[in-house]
Amino acid sequence: MIAHGGLSPTAQAVLPILGVGSLLVAWQFLLPAAGVPAYIVPTPSAIFAVFAKSGPLLLGNFWPTAIEAIAGFTIGNFSAILLAIVFVHSRILQAAYFPVVLFFNTIPVLALSPIIILIFGLGMTPKIVIAAVICFFPTLINMIRGLDSATANEHELFRVLSSNRSELFWRLRLPRALPMLFSSLRIASATAVIGAIVGEWIGSDKGLGALIIQATFNYQSDRLYAAIVLSSLLSIGLFLVVVTVERKLIRY
Amino acid sequence: MGNAIHAAGLDVGYPGPHHPTTVLSGLDLDVEAGTFLSILGPSGCGKSTLLRVIADLIEPLAGEIRVLGETPRSVRSRRDVGFVFQDSTLLPWRTVRDNLRLPLQIGRGSLTRPIEDKTEELLALMSLSALADRFPHQLSGGQRQRAAIARALLGEPRLLLMDEPFGALDEITRDRLNDELLNLWRRTRTTILFVTHSIAEAVYLGERVIVLAANPGRVVADRDLQSVKQPGNRCSREDPVIVATMAGMRAALEAAS
Ligand SMILES: Nc1ncnc2c1ncn2[C@@H]1O[C@H](COP(=O)(O)OP(=O)(O)OP(=O)(O)O)[C@@H](O)[C@H]1O
Ligand SMILES: [Mg+2]
Repeated sequence: MIAHGGLSPTAQAVLPILGVGSLLVAWQFLLPAAGVPAYIVPTPSAIFAVFAKSGPLLLGNFWPTAIEAIAGFTIGNFSAILLAIVFVHSRILQAAYFPVVLFFNTIPVLALSPIIILIFGLGMTPKIVIAAVICFFPTLINMIRGLDSATANEHELFRVLSSNRSELFWRLRLPRALPMLFSSLRIASATAVIGAIVGEWIGSDKGLGALIIQATFNYQSDRLYAAIVLSSLLSIGLFLVVVTVERKLIRY
Repeated sequence: MGNAIHAAGLDVGYPGPHHPTTVLSGLDLDVEAGTFLSILGPSGCGKSTLLRVIADLIEPLAGEIRVLGETPRSVRSRRDVGFVFQDSTLLPWRTVRDNLRLPLQIGRGSLTRPIEDKTEELLALMSLSALADRFPHQLSGGQRQRAAIARALLGEPRLLLMDEPFGALDEITRDRLNDELLNLWRRTRTTILFVTHSIAEAVYLGERVIVLAANPGRVVADRDLQSVKQPGNRCSREDPVIVATMAGMRAALEAAS
């Protein structure tokens, strides 16, 4: 843990708020004064006004992206976890197919996206697939490493106690893997949103990604910034869910 | 009483495509049931390897080994062996109490006799009751070792294998745990094989001390201490006879190194 040099709890809570506040104030007053035009960087108050004025439009575009990101996050991570479990229980399958997985990981998702959209059309499905693909690989790697991270002594302890395979999995390998799994899920909470938005850029008329593209072409920079703020809120929300579950499961 | 361990012409090694090694070679050893046996030997001579072949964690290359009159495999799969590892091997995600309860939760299918839930009793015995809800990383090294011993005892083993369990402790704590272990042994008379690097600890604890040598790994000295100790394997560390015995063991160990 990072030492906070003897700051009181109140100071620790208030200082970040003051920090953000001071930056917002500087953004609101100093940037316009410095001559930065509003169509490049609108002021915070202008962005906030968009939320009041076009709330329904923003929300209408928020939900598709949220659904795509959450579905992609769930499907991508879940299949990565399952494949990792298969791989650590069958060295033969791992030896045969892990190189294939490695190869697919070297293809940039951006290059893959048009193909995915060609296959799945223009609905939500291709965005979910892109978000899932982007989450999949890091979780697979971390989960394999996590499931294999029990020490030789721990395995010997379980052998002395004559555990069977399922006990070994549920009581040793899985608990051992959780910290590494969650460090990858935290990162995936942000990348899933990126995947959904990238998918929407390439072909969609709905969602935050589509809104970002439209706002850019129409020089509606306040709307563009509002869409960016919403995307980031979506990532933060997903991240907080992950951290909450992690705190529940990993108590030590 | 019968033999807890019978090994004859035992060869044990580690296979490896590049350099397979034979660690123990032609080892002969008989240990009577109920004995407290201390095992000394230079680092790398194969003390842990000996415990691991008895616990069926590795298989011998050649020779004969019987544990409690049976093969190590059948004794291990009946859960008659308790193992205390050098580094305690508590599971970090479990509290002390849940670590103790591990033997109650896994491998139950292979038990031929029911084991009692003596968790609270053993926590009290090892003075861990107040720490039962802590996680291993919140314990001192000595407390962790006590928890590991309690966990091994919970399975009610007929044979207890201890691999340098107190190696990382200060002398005061080590002496106190030695006495607790002896008391426990006097009550249960479980056969204990105790590996240590400390000559004083080996002599103080053991009814019998053996010294292993490296290359080839075999028993090079074997002393029965019952004649120099009081009944019940009791002795004082300052007793001149005990001190002389320690000096004798040191000479044997130096010859083996
Ligand atoms: N898994 C393994 N694979 C190959 N060689 C091993 C393995 N484990 C131990 N050895 C070798 O076997 C020999 C005996 O090891 P062992 O751990 O039994 O020694 P030890 O007497 O317990 O030593 P120490 O007192 O340092 O714990 C050593 O030379 C070691 O290098
Ligand atoms: Mg050793």
